[in-house]
Amino acid sequence: MTCSAADLANLPRARRQVFLAMFIALAVSLHILESLLPSPVPWLRLGLANVMTLSALYLYDGRAAWTVSLARVGIGALLLGRLFSPGFWLALTGAILATSVMIIVHRTCGRHLSPIGVSATGAAGHALGQILAARLLIIQHEAIWQVAPLFLFFTVFSGVLTGWLAAVLLQRLRQHPAFQVAGETCNEQTGKG
Amino acid sequence: MKTPWQVMTGGDWLVVLTLLGIALAGIAWLATAPAGTRVVATCGHQTCFVAELDQAHSVDLDGPLGKTHLVIDEKGAYVTSSPCPRKVCLSMGPARYSGDLLACVPNRIMVRIENRSGEDVPYDLLSR
Amino acid sequence: MPWNRPLIIGIIVLLLALGWLRTNSGEVKQVRRSQLMMGTIVEIVASGQDAGQLEAAADEAFAEMARLDKLLSRHYQNSDVTRLSKSLKGGQIAPETAAVIALGLDVARHSNGAFDMTLGRLKALWGIDRENPTVPEQAAIAEAIEGIGFQALSLEGLNLVKQSPQLMVDLGGIAKGYIVDQAIVVLKKHGVTSGAVNAGGDMYLLGRHPEHPWRIGIQHPRKQGGILTTVEVRDKAVVTSGDYERFFEQDGQRYHHIFDPATGSPARGCQSVTVVTDNVALGDALATALFVLGPEKGLELLAQYPGSAGLIVAADGTLHPSQGWTDYQSSP
Repeated sequence: MTCSAADLANLPRARRQVFLAMFIALAVSLHILESLLPSPVPWLRLGLANVMTLSALYLYDGRAAWTVSLARVGIGALLLGRLFSPGFWLALTGAILATSVMIIVHRTCGRHLSPIGVSATGAAGHALGQILAARLLIIQHEAIWQVAPLFLFFTVFSGVLTGWLAAVLLQRLRQHPAFQVAGETCNEQTGKG
Repeated sequence: MKTPWQVMTGGDWLVVLTLLGIALAGIAWLATAPAGTRVVATCGHQTCFVAELDQAHSVDLDGPLGKTHLVIDEKGAYVTSSPCPRKVCLSMGPARYSGDLLACVPNRIMVRIENRSGEDVPYDLLSR
Repeated sequence: MPWNRPLIIGIIVLLLALGWLRTNSGEVKQVRRSQLMMGTIVEIVASGQDAGQLEAAADEAFAEMARLDKLLSRHYQNSDVTRLSKSLKGGQIAPETAAVIALGLDVARHSNGAFDMTLGRLKALWGIDRENPTVPEQAAIAEAIEGIGFQALSLEGLNLVKQSPQLMVDLGGIAKGYIVDQAIVVLKKHGVTSGAVNAGGDMYLLGRHPEHPWRIGIQHPRKQGGILTTVEVRDKAVVTSGDYERFFEQDGQRYHHIFDPATGSPARGCQSVTVVTDNVALGDALATALFVLGPEKGLELLAQYPGSAGLIVAADGTLHPSQGWTDYQSSP
């Protein structure tokens, strides 16, 4: 196979599409796996799927992170039969807030933070989003805010965990040529980029 | 494979400790807040309404037969309209004390008065 | 290894946080649960050291109450009561049903029929539970009370015999009390020593409230949200029957759910009756009987039950306490 300049231009885009699709698939699997495990409080979960959202953010950009997180919420809800259930709206608002916060933090303080710090803020955003949705949809009363501090306390720890897992994953992935950012050349002899 | 603390930067620690600090402060603040009396309504098995007894409210509670209307004012918490056949719930006087219960049984609505502090109430249970 | 210490510190912090969240052991916990069943709100309160034990006790108590309700209520197709009502001559019944009927027959005899478990046809006729009940014709009422009375039932072991095929058994005036008693048995079995089971105002108080004897408010029959008086009890049943609980109004007259077997219409002698006694089944039956008998004959009946005391609010609103009532009444 020979490679041409046109192939080179399309290659990063094609790679991105393929890998994001894989990330989404992995995120959905992680989400479903988590939902099968027992948990003391129904919606208190580790949020392992966020590892993939974080990886998308770091390897590509904010748009990729949105793609992975929103697709995960939608497909996960479809597969679990929870589309448009109250739990779905909680998950959606949590994901929207978490992803927004992570993108902003990554862009502004990304130099000072590892994925762990970004993930921790994302976890806090997720908790806030869920409680906000619960306040609007389920318990229409201020009493719901009383669970906020406790919720926040535990989600920070899960945020650290997923951030660390993302850091480990990123370290491995970045070693692979498919994820190396710049310097793609077309090797005339082997025909590979 | 690096451990979490090997990965974490100074900035990370700042973020994590700040968030935990906010959480703990919130918990401490709630633990010392003065307790009040609450009105808790369940529709079927789900909690569908929570309010403080000392704030005026007027709210519809949804059940299989329709809407049961609950009012909270200085008299207490009481039902003003309900789609049930015999309106027993309307004849249950205002609920005011911790442990008082109102219910529209056909519409599966139950309203409970809860007290978080050990306030002195004249009786533990009501025989009616 | 470099990550041991921070990890251990992290785990200790987490464990401390979780430990802080649990209440201290040694503190008395109170479990309070309510469920809609038997056509009313049933509330179970239990206090003790072990919240898990209290929750388990309450769960099993509710389950047992639901099971007995299905056996004793005429609202279920397969209940003993419905089967007996549909049968020609009676039939085999469960031991629980037999126990309830035996107690009921005893009260029926002592009260000269004021307490009656054969009012099934009458109650169905009046249909107090229906959407728009109306006052039935006199002729229909007369037919519905034909052949009723405790003489029409006899119990031989677990076999109930009824004198006529149309006779319909209704345990409404005693079953709820029996079911509450059985719920208390379950709580005791789980080692609960302080608690209460309250089925819409018919209740048993087990032991004492953690801080004082149980204080029970008696509903004022004419003042919504008002209390007539308060009683202080321990290990006692408190049952109140009133004309304000289930009723409908027609032409300015109130028709409530406690029928006088002699007339087939709601009893008019009292506004409400409260009985304090040793078990709720007896309390339930006595309260119904007292309501039908009115203040004078009611107090006479109560005198035949030395372990029981009562407060009768007559139709004109005057209060008629029994001999032992002042033992329970707390100072106003």
